Amino acid sequence: MQRDVGSFPLAPGLRAKLIGAGFQTAQELLEIGPCELSKEIGISKEEALETLQIVRRECNSNATKTAGDPEAVGKCTALELLAQEQAQGFIITFCSALDDILGGGVQLTKITEICGAPGVGKTQLCMQLAVDVQIPECFGGLAGEAVFIDTEGSFMVDRVVDIATACVQHCQLIAETHQEEDFQKSLETFSFESILSHIYYFRCHDYTELLAQIYLLPDFLSEHSKVRLVIVDGIAFPFRHDFEDLSLRTRLLNGLAQQLISIANAHKLAVVLTNQMTTRIGQSQSMLVPALGESWGHAATIRLIFHWDNKQRLATLYKSPSQKESTVPFHITPHGFRDVHPPPPSQTPAEVEINPRKRPRIEGDKQQ
Amino acid sequence: MVILRAGLCPGLTVEMIQLLKANSIATVVDLVSSDLEEVARKCSLSYKALVAVRRVLLAQFSAFPVNGADLYEELKSSTAILSTGSRSLDRLLDSGLYTGEVTELTGAPGSGKTQVCLSIAVSTSHDLKQNVLYVDSTGGFTASRLLQLAQTRTGDEEEQVEALQRIQVARVFDVYKMLDVLQELRCSVSQQVLSSLGPVKVLVVDSVSAVICPLLGGRQAEGLALMMQLARELKTLARELSMAVVVTNHVTRDGSSGHLKPALGRSWSFVPSTRVLLESREGTWGKASTRRIASLTKSSRQPTGIEVELDIGSCGVLEESPAASGEGC
Repeated sequence: MQRDVGSFPLAPGLRAKLIGAGFQTAQELLEIGPCELSKEIGISKEEALETLQIVRRECNSNATKTAGDPEAVGKCTALELLAQEQAQGFIITFCSALDDILGGGVQLTKITEICGAPGVGKTQLCMQLAVDVQIPECFGGLAGEAVFIDTEGSFMVDRVVDIATACVQHCQLIAETHQEEDFQKSLETFSFESILSHIYYFRCHDYTELLAQIYLLPDFLSEHSKVRLVIVDGIAFPFRHDFEDLSLRTRLLNGLAQQLISIANAHKLAVVLTNQMTTRIGQSQSMLVPALGESWGHAATIRLIFHWDNKQRLATLYKSPSQKESTVPFHITPHGFRDVHPPPPSQTPAEVEINPRKRPRIEGDKQQ
Repeated sequence: MVILRAGLCPGLTVEMIQLLKANSIATVVDLVSSDLEEVARKCSLSYKALVAVRRVLLAQFSAFPVNGADLYEELKSSTAILSTGSRSLDRLLDSGLYTGEVTELTGAPGSGKTQVCLSIAVSTSHDLKQNVLYVDSTGGFTASRLLQLAQTRTGDEEEQVEALQRIQVARVFDVYKMLDVLQELRCSVSQQVLSSLGPVKVLVVDSVSAVICPLLGGRQAEGLALMMQLARELKTLARELSMAVVVTNHVTRDGSSGHLKPALGRSWSFVPSTRVLLESREGTWGKASTRRIASLTKSSRQPTGIEVELDIGSCGVLEESPAASGEGC
């Protein structure tokens, strides 16, 4: 195997010693035993054994792969992926306009980022999604569970109770109009207590806890295989205050993004992040842009920006691999996220009141 | 720096190697560059044997010069130019993607890099009937969008299915797995394993900076080493297997001037032979509100600074009208 020694996942010091002793390809390493290797380079026998095991394992997995077994790395044709994608569901947001511009809802195996000024509704959408992912399959949901990682402390349980109760009522109305067996059966297990018990809540106080939580997530997910949504509410907050070394911040954020997308892919779940806005001062004007810098913009697959237009909340789809850029209005009601205009009469009518809990927008307070 | 091993060439025995090592000659370079008379005296080996061994080692390990005319003939016969499916992009790239070279697309988030990659994949797989390997490291690959693009090329469902089958997708999210995939591609072609598809003509890596950025910076030089490993793999694949390699890169903000520049630094800027920057600019003259411009920032064949306008609509960048705003060099 002509693979270069530098391309194996070995410790840097070990790699330097191997190259210094003249080993260049995996072939040379495979022909030598651990005792000779430890004598040649001057490392302990256990380290030599480990190194040889890593090299042999990589080479062997390559050999089995070329024998026609496209596994482990997960190569497949686009046709197979299309079949998988069409069989996957979406997580609806209960605002049909937003679902339309997203192509059906929040997609699985992708990272969706929601940016917005304070108070525009990011945490509300996260709580709505944490409830919506649990809708039973006969009503068009995913019947999954949710992980909520909170860094800002903005998760209000009583609000989730309101949203969950409204969602259960909505499903009950649908079941009554359609009168089918499985609808009644799934409604028995779908109550607001079960919804709350399937939201796993983690509170992280600084960036180290956040990083640790996300790197430990795969273990948690292998025990709780029904999780279909991971929400990180406030990924900007722990990284924005007292971080002196900006290049370290970029590295950590990029590593975090790769870890999240690999979790999303491996466990077939959706990842939703919320981000803050910051002001960029240009030559002649200043504008609000998402925080955390340019390189973070590449981390999310789908980016939604929430903003105000007079008193109306708007959602803009800014970046998506399959949908066009567009803007829709939405409302936040006591029952959660809803459309501006009531949907067609075949479904239950949605309320269109302004949410009395949110502070009213004052005219002069525009952020544009 | 290859280590001397028994059996590397006939005449190199274990005893010889041990005697040489005792005199601090451990690698091929040491042996070939040392004075053989001295070595023969110090190690008490036969001079003739050493000369024979050196000749064989030189034949095995040195590179052979090729004259320019032969090189030109070889390139003429082995290089292919693959159209990207969009006339303006082809014009920017001097009629298409060249096999044997690495082409890079950079741009801000949402500027259309993944869309251009998907369009190239569909165009190669459907129009040119060649195989494509798409290495996705950001999760931006959406098969339904690929189907949408294929549907604009042909209404026949069977052809669409065939086109999708020719595109292989590998999802890797860290650099070692990416090196695995590239290595496996090289092995499968060099061992002439006939997969059901045939040889891959276009390799798309979207994106390279997503896997390298977590490693760069700080005081560790390991990230830079891995980046150059990856660069070497890509260039070897391009050159030896006559593939066209397309990579995408992020942009970062330059600290001093505040302009956007491609990520991964100056070392990476020498790897691709052609670099295209995609950006969205505010429209003027009563056109749509934003225009997407692709400009050539590095090329060995065309003058840099050429710009064309791309229209990323429902059919990606394929077959749009050549409404280019070409500026000279």
